[in-house]
Amino acid sequence: STNNCSKMLNYRCSGCIAVGKPLNSRNFTKLLHSCPYQCDRHKVIVEAEDRYKNELRKSLICSKKILLTPRRRQLINKS
Amino acid sequence: MFRGQRGWFCGSVGQDLRQFWVAEGGTVSDPAVADFLFSCDASHPDTQRIYQSLDYIEDNATVFHAYYLSAVANAEIKTSVALGHFILPPACLQKDIRRKIGSFIWERDEQFPIEKHDEV
Ligand SMILES: [Zn+2]
Repeated sequence: STNNCSKMLNYRCSGCIAVGKPLNSRNFTKLLHSCPYQCDRHKVIVEAEDRYKNELRKSLICSKKILLTPRRRQLINKS
Repeated sequence: MFRGQRGWFCGSVGQDLRQFWVAEGGTVSDPAVADFLFSCDASHPDTQRIYQSLDYIEDNATVFHAYYLSAVANAEIKTSVALGHFILPPACLQKDIRRKIGSFIWERDEQFPIEKHDEV
């Protein structure tokens, strides 16, 4: 509807206007990251998701480290 | 519109939206090989698994609200709907995001019912 169109015109960045390009779940986040100008909405969403991903990365690295400490390895070898 | 595209659907997505995807030429697939990841509920366990996957951490998996499909179904020009307006972030981030940008576009456009077609 017209209402939707005018709404969409308010938000313009490559995340907003990349219509018709072969966008999908695999390339969209990378496209947003490479966008030199992100609209306020996309900027907020990207920043929040990036923070979340960083936390996950950290916890993944931590759990790997716990598994690989020498003491743990000894315990595993003994059993 | 979706010919040759593979889509994964969270259990939270209604049957009408899946049917529209298939009617438009899309196929339904596993999350690992899907081109599109659709969900209607970020806190659904199916979708939470995506948010914890390596694909997601490495920026290779954006989850979109399945209302994108109803927006496409209702648009005069199907290709004019911006996929980017339908990003669905993890549930734990949504409150904070809303505080900064107001409601999500998929929340405002909830009134997009798929018009029932007789052939379905
Ligand atoms: Zn934008």
